Amino acid sequence: MPGDFEAIVKYLKEKVLYSDEVVGKEKEKKQVLNLLRRTVVDGESNSMLLIGPQGAETSKLVNSVLKELEGLKDYIIVELHGLLHTDDRLALKSITFQLNLDNAVDGKVFGSFAENLAFLLACLRTGGKESSKSVIFILQAFDLFCAHHNQTLLYNLFDISQSAQTPICVLGLTCRIDVIQLLEKRVKSRFSHRQMFLYAGSEETSDLDFALDRMAWYLELPPKCPVGITSKARDAWNLNVQELLKNKKFRAVTERMIGLELSEQILKNVLLKCLYSLTNTDQLLTVNQFEKELESLEKDEMVQVLQDLSALEICLIVAMQHHSDIYDNSPMNFEMVYTRYVKFAHKHSSMQNVQRPVVMKAFEHIEAIELIAMVNQQGSAKLQKEYQFFKLLVTPQQISEAIGKMQGLPTEIVQWWNSSLI
Amino acid sequence: MDALSKSFPGREPQIAQLLAYFRAAPYPPAVYIRGGPSSGKCAIVSGLLGALRIRHALVDLVECYSSKVLFELVLNQLSGHRVDPAVGAPFAACDHLMDFVGQLGRIEDVDGSVVVLRHAEELRKLEANVLAGFLGLRQLTRVRVSVVLLSEVAFEKYYHKLNLSEPLKVHFPQYSMEQLLHILQLDFPHAEQLSAVQVDREFHRSYLSVFLPVFYRACRDLSELRHMSRKHFAQYCQPVLDQQLRAQDSLALWKRIAPIFNAATSVLYLRVSSKHPGQGLELPFYSKYLLIAAYLASYNSSTDDKRLFMKFHGKKRKTRHDIERKNKPSAHLNTQIGPKAFTLDRLLAIFYSILEDKVGFNNHLLIQVSSLVQLQLLSLASDECSLDERKYKCNVNFETIQTIARMVGFNVRKFLTDFSHM
Repeated sequence: MPGDFEAIVKYLKEKVLYSDEVVGKEKEKKQVLNLLRRTVVDGESNSMLLIGPQGAETSKLVNSVLKELEGLKDYIIVELHGLLHTDDRLALKSITFQLNLDNAVDGKVFGSFAENLAFLLACLRTGGKESSKSVIFILQAFDLFCAHHNQTLLYNLFDISQSAQTPICVLGLTCRIDVIQLLEKRVKSRFSHRQMFLYAGSEETSDLDFALDRMAWYLELPPKCPVGITSKARDAWNLNVQELLKNKKFRAVTERMIGLELSEQILKNVLLKCLYSLTNTDQLLTVNQFEKELESLEKDEMVQVLQDLSALEICLIVAMQHHSDIYDNSPMNFEMVYTRYVKFAHKHSSMQNVQRPVVMKAFEHIEAIELIAMVNQQGSAKLQKEYQFFKLLVTPQQISEAIGKMQGLPTEIVQWWNSSLI
Repeated sequence: MDALSKSFPGREPQIAQLLAYFRAAPYPPAVYIRGGPSSGKCAIVSGLLGALRIRHALVDLVECYSSKVLFELVLNQLSGHRVDPAVGAPFAACDHLMDFVGQLGRIEDVDGSVVVLRHAEELRKLEANVLAGFLGLRQLTRVRVSVVLLSEVAFEKYYHKLNLSEPLKVHFPQYSMEQLLHILQLDFPHAEQLSAVQVDREFHRSYLSVFLPVFYRACRDLSELRHMSRKHFAQYCQPVLDQQLRAQDSLALWKRIAPIFNAATSVLYLRVSSKHPGQGLELPFYSKYLLIAAYLASYNSSTDDKRLFMKFHGKKRKTRHDIERKNKPSAHLNTQIGPKAFTLDRLLAIFYSILEDKVGFNNHLLIQVSSLVQLQLLSLASDECSLDERKYKCNVNFETIQTIARMVGFNVRKFLTDFSHM
């Protein structure tokens, strides 16, 4: 039934995109929960870093823990994001807002950042261990906070968490493994050095089983039917998914995907692409679909970029590659590439005689799509553009592949590329 | 949707893919569309979103010299702001990403709207958090806003220190020759207007099949090809108009147009008439010699001056250094590396030695040097403030200096170490 199908796809897309549930990681969840509970209930201050790969897994985990914490006791959550709060002034503004201290700050005119911070800290400090509400600070993209001037914010937060003032818990979420090294010495010494690593995959099962489990979790419809799906349609869908997961070829495809990268992000992207490619005419997921999506993932983008070039531009790329072969990857300028190109064009009468400005334009286009990059040299800013030095950013393998795939490329160019140089 | 596919021939798979993404909510959080110039990226995306009645903001990053401009443009387009004296809606003002995210969340029914950014590669030139912020916009704002990035650059060029969430990718390949022929045929109504004689589609088609192979090698940019085809169609029709040839006589017509096409390839992209390629340089006699002297000074090392310009320089013993230099690879020639700076004294010395009739040193000569600088044929290489020991560079390339030298009957090659191999 079409209604069913649409409801299923919509439900699954939402699940892949927005699901907040965390499956597995029970031990980690418990640990974070314990930490937060100690802050909220017992009024103990603490700090912790959660380190895990990109893909919002860490923040999902924190969110699910916070959900469990709800209703336990009154507390305030302050969420900061490294991308949004790019300096301490903005972060402070946001903290003030989230602590509902707007009114208290409103009338006051702060001369400096330090004063403002001092006031906020005083507000936090006035509470004792028992009397005041606890505050949970969640710092997303924690590594970016380390770049703030003098790390003042981190220093103060960690400082409060070390002293017996208002109970606060600082949770830092990051994907950088070396984040501790980014902290200044005085900040580091105030940090509790509690770190938790969240990796994709699990210790008990193999990576393949883990990936298949995750896919099953994403794709299967729960026994309690979401709105608009009949139980018959659900069973049919689930049966198909189960069969798909058992399929040998599908397992091979999945293995290939894991070979690229094992992360929640790539899994989700592939699933999403497959879900989006479902239409009313073919409503079920198939192995071929997965294979197709994976192939598009494995494709080398640079080869595609090269294939889009005109014959003239390919000529220049070949000339550049030859230059770097001959001169051991030394940089080149337009003048050298142009001489090489002209030499080639003269040899082959079938090549059109293209004028210098047009070749220059082709060269500039190659620069614009970043197949070559300017090499910084002393005083290169003053040089004319014909003499500025560039480096080729594509590999010979990529050029070979692109030339092989291009249709209607003049044979002289293919031969030129294949010719041995020395 | 059929209308869209019809007006963009050759883009059916891309339209189908985008339609799959935006047919039904939820939309993917981020889509990255890459394709060469004028491959229909922007037109298709905005046409599709318009047809599906999805609220969207379309911003070209080239217009945004600062992130503030970008944020405000997006906010105002999404909130439907219009300059209207009757209804005074406040123009959104937004300074940084934190503000932007906050204000975006406050726009009414912002869920399900799309932000389209053209020339997305420019995002990297704004603050570091803008690109990452837009790619992760959904996590930051917690509203369901999708981002579509249009660019010519491969996505891998965006990877930097920051962890980016990977968008779904759509590739718009460059049109093939057959597709281009098909698309350019759609331009027939315009061609009909251009020509003075009555032409039919077959005539236009045969014109294009002559036109396209000539230009296709140097250029695959549809809008440039269309511009060129329009420009030359009238010339192609001319013999028919003068009743010298019949419209069916395509071979004879081709013979007439071929030289015009060949001339036109040299002004591709330049948008100048092919009749006057570059304005002729009319310089006074002494200025020409000054320019030649400047060229020689720029591309010869001063140690060779004695041998080149003095009559009785005596015999020189060949050293190992000279032999090595003779075998110097072409890429290390002076003419390929760029001009070097020279002093005014050296310029005048060379000037007097290459000039046959002796002219007195006076103000006029000095003024001619400064007017050469003004014409940007020479550039000042030293500090502008210092008056003595001024240094200059010659900005003219070898082809130009050869034509100038020919005008005064002077052989430049004889005086260049690159060519004379002493």
